[in-house]
Amino acid sequence: NENWSLSPEEFEIWDRLYRIKESDGVKEPILPQIQFETLENLEEISKHDEKATRELSLSEWRIWQNRAFPTSMVDHSDRCYHFISVMEMIEVMRHEQGDCSYELEIQPHLRIEDVNVPGNKSHLSMTNST
Amino acid sequence: GCLGSFQRLKAAVHYTVGCLCQEVAEDKDVQFSKQTVAAISEITFRQCGTEGCFLILCRHAKRSTVTTEDVKLLARRSNSLLKYITQKSEEIVSSNMEQKEKK
Repeated sequence: NENWSLSPEEFEIWDRLYRIKESDGVKEPILPQIQFETLENLEEISKHDEKATRELSLSEWRIWQNRAFPTSMVDHSDRCYHFISVMEMIEVMRHEQGDCSYELEIQPHLRIEDVNVPGNKSHLSMTNST
Repeated sequence: GCLGSFQRLKAAVHYTVGCLCQEVAEDKDVQFSKQTVAAISEITFRQCGTEGCFLILCRHAKRSTVTTEDVKLLARRSNSLLKYITQKSEEIVSSNMEQKEKK
């Protein structure tokens, strides 16, 4: 087969073994689309029939994600390790009440010349109130 | 030392994230727990680290100085974000031009 598309034989195999049909009782998997809460959305949002599709979730198994998952041929990237570290940090903070260990650890290092203090309106009090 | 300056940077990011979250909280009438603010600030801090791929983009174009084009490439996966960043970039360019003309 020299074409980009499937040959009749390949199509037959795909149709028989892999193609999701209504009678299969499984929903067609789809990926979530990018959306920005704080920006005007230019992305085309295609509406899916919720009964026939299942949006793949990137957060459903979050409690598994504070450790590196096994790899096959591709190593974890730096970005991936950053993600794992933050998930672990969140796990550690999950049961904190009120005071935040991260804040207590980091706040003594703050130098006010490093930050923009916009008119100083009520922002300083924020870090002190629960 | 290096750890000290990391902590100092983290503290500055944490403070600023706190201010921004406060604005969002007022705007959307929600509350952020301190732990949420801490997590957002740690993510922001680490995100800056991964943006070190800037340098890779530069080298790709055989340059050693990061330009606005490299910044735009970081936003390439979302049309909305790319449009926003491109507009900002044009604003900066035109205000720089005005400044030069004044001189």
